[in-house]
Amino acid sequence: MKPRRNPIHRHILDEIVKKVQMHPNYADLQNQFALLLMVEGKMERAEIHFLKAIRLNPKYRKAILNLGFLYMEMRRWEKAEEIFLSEAKRRPRDGFLHHVLGILYLQTGRQKEAAARICKAMQYHSHYRDYYSKKGVWQRGTIHLDPKAESLLKRIHLHPYAQFHNFVGLNLAKRGKFAQAVKELKKAEGLNPDEFIFHANLGTVYYYQGTYSKAIQEFQKALKINPLYGMGYANLSYVYGLMGRTHEALRYMNKAVRLNPQYADLHYNLALLYNDRKQYRKAILELKKALRINPDYLFARINLGVLYEDQKRWKEARREYRKILRITPDDEHVRKRLERIS
Amino acid sequence: MLREDFVIQANIRRMLTRTDIDASQMDFGTVRGVVYIQGTFQVSRFDPSWDSDKVKDFTMNTLYSLEKKIRRIPGVSDVIFQLNNWKKEKGHWFHVKVTKKEENK
Repeated sequence: MKPRRNPIHRHILDEIVKKVQMHPNYADLQNQFALLLMVEGKMERAEIHFLKAIRLNPKYRKAILNLGFLYMEMRRWEKAEEIFLSEAKRRPRDGFLHHVLGILYLQTGRQKEAAARICKAMQYHSHYRDYYSKKGVWQRGTIHLDPKAESLLKRIHLHPYAQFHNFVGLNLAKRGKFAQAVKELKKAEGLNPDEFIFHANLGTVYYYQGTYSKAIQEFQKALKINPLYGMGYANLSYVYGLMGRTHEALRYMNKAVRLNPQYADLHYNLALLYNDRKQYRKAILELKKALRINPDYLFARINLGVLYEDQKRWKEARREYRKILRITPDDEHVRKRLERIS
Repeated sequence: MLREDFVIQANIRRMLTRTDIDASQMDFGTVRGVVYIQGTFQVSRFDPSWDSDKVKDFTMNTLYSLEKKIRRIPGVSDVIFQLNNWKKEKGHWFHVKVTKKEENK
């Protein structure tokens, strides 16, 4: 089940080692390095580097959880419990933490406590109800912890290995090696199908690769697990845009904006969609929102100027063009537009 | 020709990930088929053994190729580069030294 190292892994991992040597005070690098050591079976060294990452950034959740999983892998149950309990105390409504604690208790034969945590996981995250039903743990309103169901749940400690494949996959995608990236991300997804980010990343790679139907499937899987993942809706919108299905693109971009109202870029993209559909009033509104968030958002301002011009709102168009030329005096396109309406 | 700015944007977004460009310091926008590219232009993938002239040549070729690819997107009528480290004059790209003030922007 653990990943076997191959030349691609080695290449990427050698790079991380070099980076860690160059920047020993980057918590993220320490966490990646620890993950690599864990994958190689060097558990004690992995522990040291996870601890370093946490020392550098005490709020670094990923590293904290990884350390917990490492302790589970090392069967140091008390240490693992201590970590997950303290995290659950900090975030009492985080279903995932209760889920992990439930599995930890199952592994240590504490069935009652496990059942209580499973109930809490379902209470705080409705997706776990489906999850436990599928695994046969939640049946007709009661919890069944038979050995078969338990063994299905116990794969949680593989989470860091899934993260490793996810990391390698993203690294390959950055290098433009999309086919290999897909393979790695599928391994991550296979090890932990309940982690929305693995589906989202796989969807993104399919999108870059141009395999749009698969990209849509993966984004939808991610959104089913985490309906609050706003960028998932934005990505769906881009994919539908590329497929020329702008009606769906608009629907999803609207959802993305609703979930991330502070992202100027999403308001800008929503404005473009309204503009393409000739809904100019709505487009203007979205551009104004984008500019309220980021007054230096030049493209939004140019679009706004052009839209005012279309509406024959000359004064407002001139005002926007002048603002742009104050920032980029060399913009000939905008200068010409301003001259035409002055 | 159909000019759907959102579709052009989505195409550019995807295109930038499929090239050797470090898009993290760049912004792009589309206004009625006119594509704007702003920021600092850098390549993300090159042979570490290359000297700075070779990297510059490679970056320049990447710029030419990017412009060509963007112009090929249906609906694109023009591409405007507003880069702080490269300038185009009479059809040729020239590297410009970035001043500290510009870097801090």
